[in-house]
Amino acid sequence: MIDIAGLIAENIMYMLLITLGGVLISVGVHFVPVGGAPAAMAQACGVGTGTVQLAAGAGLTGLVTAGAMMGVTDNMGLVLASGTLGGMIMISVTMLVGQWVYVYGVGCPPASAKVKYDPITKDRQDLYISQGTEGHAIPTVSFVSGVIGAGLGGLGGGLVYYALLKMGEVAAGLTVKDIMSTTGHELVGLASIFAVGIFFMNAVIPSYNIGGTIEGFHDPKFKKWPKAALTSLVVTLLCAVLAVVTLGGM
Amino acid sequence: MSAGGSGEAHAAIPQSQLIAFGIVGGLVGIYAAYFLGNVAGGVFSFMGALGAICATIWGAAAVRRVASYGLGTGVPSIGMLALGMGVVAAMFGLAVGKGIDMEIAGPVIAVVVASIIGLVIGIFANKVLNMNIPVMEQSMTEIAASGTIVIIGLAVAMSGTFLFDIVLTEVITTGYIAVIFIAGGMALLHPFNANLGPDEKQDRTLYTAFEKGSIAMIIAGIVALSAQNASVGLVTILIGIFLWYLGFTGFYARVKRDAFKVVGTGLLPSEEELE
Repeated sequence: MIDIAGLIAENIMYMLLITLGGVLISVGVHFVPVGGAPAAMAQACGVGTGTVQLAAGAGLTGLVTAGAMMGVTDNMGLVLASGTLGGMIMISVTMLVGQWVYVYGVGCPPASAKVKYDPITKDRQDLYISQGTEGHAIPTVSFVSGVIGAGLGGLGGGLVYYALLKMGEVAAGLTVKDIMSTTGHELVGLASIFAVGIFFMNAVIPSYNIGGTIEGFHDPKFKKWPKAALTSLVVTLLCAVLAVVTLGGM
Repeated sequence: MSAGGSGEAHAAIPQSQLIAFGIVGGLVGIYAAYFLGNVAGGVFSFMGALGAICATIWGAAAVRRVASYGLGTGVPSIGMLALGMGVVAAMFGLAVGKGIDMEIAGPVIAVVVASIIGLVIGIFANKVLNMNIPVMEQSMTEIAASGTIVIIGLAVAMSGTFLFDIVLTEVITTGYIAVIFIAGGMALLHPFNANLGPDEKQDRTLYTAFEKGSIAMIIAGIVALSAQNASVGLVTILIGIFLWYLGFTGFYARVKRDAFKVVGTGLLPSEEELE
């Protein structure tokens, strides 16, 4: 029989970390300039694909880089920093290559229709908008916003993964570093697929909140983030309870 | 007819029948694979994949129903959400089944837990995120439950059982769970994503789901070649190929039925013909 109350009491700290990680992912997605199908036709600002693909691409890279660091050190700060940077690098590369395609391939200047002046560079935006579009490519403010968002996503993903492994650590009697450096340890697979599941849930929730597209933190839709954060908080907490029983009870 | 954002999709087969088909077919497949596997060896593990196909058809119908209201974002998001919820619930269900010494109850626990997560997300999507889709709560519950059955069904097809320890070593530690995640997610999200538009018909979408489920079954068979043994894998692959053929011809027949005209374009014109 599983002592669920005991497991929860023992791992309450890691459950809170998982929940925090889920909320960070959810908030991070609001920063990422997601253009969706309109952006794929250069008719809206941002990268031309869906939230889930972008957030998952950046966040899962963060998860992998965080995992790689876990095999080397037990230091939580280093693991989380590695996850954050992994996410940031991934989204930067995606946005940079997307930018090349928009500028040199499609032939449009990066401009946002949501603001008159770029909040960071103070460049005039409205003069460069093609008629009938809502902006195109990735202006500076969206790029900076995207890097912040992916950083939060990578941090959140790393946090979830680390906390999941820490829960299993108690049950397995090994440190996270030992678990990660053991080839084929079953805890790694279980914790990573759990982290991926939690990650996808928290990437889709904000995507429904913003209705599919957002330009970054200067977009009026960004103000809706508390709603997604609240939803993610509840859903991730539920998942954290499930995780503690699954991993802690092993 | 059902284009994204046009409201409730017309359904020739009522959703309640598909729910029954998905749950009953899915669980019967999973349990049949388990019990027949205990009696007759692993050859019957293909039954798990048949259960997964039943759940795929149900899940794709639920995706179609909710996504036809217009999600504001692409249909793929809901498939990934389904498998995200499904994988957490499936692992929990199987692990708890082991924890309370009733492994046989694992899949049922998983489906119940998935429904709860789905219901919570559905309620929050309507009440907090203000998506205002009337069928959101019910559809999210259905999608989460079907995603869970797809995961467990394919895991059974790969490893021959749903006992947590064996699934853990054969499916999760080896990383095949990622294959299940994407193949199952595709099977749920792709049918409506590929067919949506003003001429969308329920049976054509569901035939696509059937065909996608069969592809996932073939993949599960390929994994079973190494996870169990060659004969088990071969049986699953052959049945999968047969079902895929049925699914694809059924889908193509409905494409021809729904299209104004199907014409062959021939090969690319040669250089002389262009001049």
